[in-house]
Amino acid sequence: MEENNSASESSHVSPEEAAIKLIDGLQTAVIQVLTTMAMEDVKYTGREEVANLTLRQEVGGLIRLYGGASEGMVGLASSRTVVAEIVSRIVGLPPDSLDQEDLLDGIAELANMVCGSMKSKAQVGYQVSLSPPVAIIGRDYTARWKTLNPTWVLKFLIDGSEFEVYASF
Amino acid sequence: MKLLTIDDSRTIRRVISDIGTTLGYEVLEAENGRMALDVLTESGQEIGLILLDWNMPGMNGLEVLQTVKGDARWQHIPVMMVTTEGEKEYIVKSIQAGAAHYLTKPFTQEDMAARIMETLGMGGA
Repeated sequence: MEENNSASESSHVSPEEAAIKLIDGLQTAVIQVLTTMAMEDVKYTGREEVANLTLRQEVGGLIRLYGGASEGMVGLASSRTVVAEIVSRIVGLPPDSLDQEDLLDGIAELANMVCGSMKSKAQVGYQVSLSPPVAIIGRDYTARWKTLNPTWVLKFLIDGSEFEVYASF
Repeated sequence: MKLLTIDDSRTIRRVISDIGTTLGYEVLEAENGRMALDVLTESGQEIGLILLDWNMPGMNGLEVLQTVKGDARWQHIPVMMVTTEGEKEYIVKSIQAGAAHYLTKPFTQEDMAARIMETLGMGGA
């Protein structure tokens, strides 16, 4: 991806202000992506600050943010059942016909769309770049990003099931 | 006429392929820029529209676009960018490089279908 950090680097958005804009943008982006692509019934139920960014659910998607004053990570996490249902609705195939590769690709693309939409909405005043997504599937894993940045978990309900989005900026 | 979708996500290629097929087109797929150039070399004369992601491993979408628009065999083929990058500078760079349309993900099936029809000069949004 091309870098362009010069255009508005001088707009004096502090890292704290940028983090708030990104978190607010993320909340909106999750709902927009899931309702637009998957026609899911999504409800935001709240956010809380947590000690660290640790994914433990069965399917996860991670993207690193870098550039300007921002360095951070966004992680999507949910059960295999919920992710299969979301991907199923996006591609128009039954959930039980999807294989592991479908779910890996699906959660990666969801993370990609959510983060792209988040940075468009946040308008932090400088270029924020996204790493390629990392997708994880497993019944027993813990993925942790070590950082001193504040970390939040945004909680959503999709047709009554939990969908969590972790963010650390 | 065929459509060519270039995206490293097979989820997105499936969605675009389904929409294109519903509109009555055969849809070819490539998961990166190199594969796309191979498809164009083989079937370029049959392709009426390219739908192109920006962020891909290897050549990014802008590099693919510049290659297509710099090649006399393919420069007449309209290109629609389909990407998560929604900021103005990406749109400007794409249009300056010759993209006909720019659609940001997420998109509805109706939006995508309308943009395809519009880009092919068949009405729509």
